[in-house]
Formats: sequence, C-alpha cells, structure tokens
Amino acid sequence: MTRKTQIITLMASALLVSAMLSSVVHAQSASGVSAAKAAGIVGEQADGYLGFKGAPTAAVKSEVDAINIKRRAAYTSTAAARGVTVKEAAAAVGCQTLASRVTEGQAYALTDGAWHLKTAAPITLPAYCAQ
Amino acid sequence: MTRVTYLLSAVLALPLTGCVTLAAPEKPIEINLNINIKQEVIVKLQKDAQDIITNNPELFPK
Repeated sequence: MTRKTQIITLMASALLVSAMLSSVVHAQSASGVSAAKAAGIVGEQADGYLGFKGAPTAAVKSEVDAINIKRRAAYTSTAAARGVTVKEAAAAVGCQTLASRVTEGQAYALTDGAWHLKTAAPITLPAYCAQ
Repeated sequence: MTRVTYLLSAVLALPLTGCVTLAAPEKPIEINLNINIKQEVIVKLQKDAQDIITNNPELFPK
C-alpha cells in the first residue's frame, strides 16, 4: 500500500463514519418527534403544520420548528405553482394528514385550534376538505 | 285630440298600477361563498398535497 492509498483510505473511512454519525443523529431527532406524537405532546393541525398540545423538550421543539419551516417552504412552492395562497396549499395537506396520518392516541387540532385525541373513529374533517 | 290625451294618460298611468312593494327582510341575508371557493381549491390541490407528503417523508414523521 502506498502512502497515497493509505491517506485516501483514511479519508474515505472518516467520511463514512461521519455519514453514519449524522444519520444516527437524524434518526434520533425524527424519532424524538415520533415519540412526542405517540405521547400526544406533538400533533398534526388542520392548518398543515405540527403543533404542541403539551410541553415539548427543547430538542423536540426545535425539531418541530425546523419541520414546520420546511413544510412552509414546500407549501409556498406549491402555492406559487398553482396560483393559490400558501394557507390554502397548507390546508390541503392538513386535510390529508388528518384524514389518514393520525393514529389512535395521537393528538390533532382542528381549525378552531382545539386539541383532540384520535380514537378508533375517523376524524371529523373541516367542511372545506374534499371528502 | 282628447282621445289621444286619454290614451296617453292611460298609458302613463299603467306603471303605477303595476307597483310591487319590496320590504327589506328583517334578518340580513348571509351568503357564505368562502367555504365553497375554498373547497374547490382544496379539491384542486389534492394531488399536490399527496405529492408533498410522499416526496418529503422526513417532514411528515409517523
């Protein structure tokens, strides 16, 4: 093995380790939000964003805030492409998250901002949602 | 001449007999167009909304 090969191998393994570490951190933060959702602290809102029913840890709060910023960016680009408001694009996603992505025991908020716990029964969606 | 005058006054008086009195309703009429317009927009955005969710799984944790 030449010295050059050794250096390249070392650099490659360093990259691999850092990639693995970052994916672990990422998985941890995502599962933090998932755990908070399962605990009914964080939940989906009819407005298309995540919200807090209870008091989150600082780590969960910053992760939720980051998700909401990215969601808003996605809603903004869809709104621009379709000629609708960001609020409407967000509400369209909110309809779908409430309709199919809230599981039993998780919290969710309707348009009035009131929090509910999902039961076995389907969520009564806002009137504007396509049923 | 008098005949024409009679006829003219009869024609002129005609609209007066056909008067319909309109009374303002006691309650204000509420037409909520907001809901319908919004639903139309939401229906139009259904596929886009689904795409946002499936294309960004990290933004929609279980």
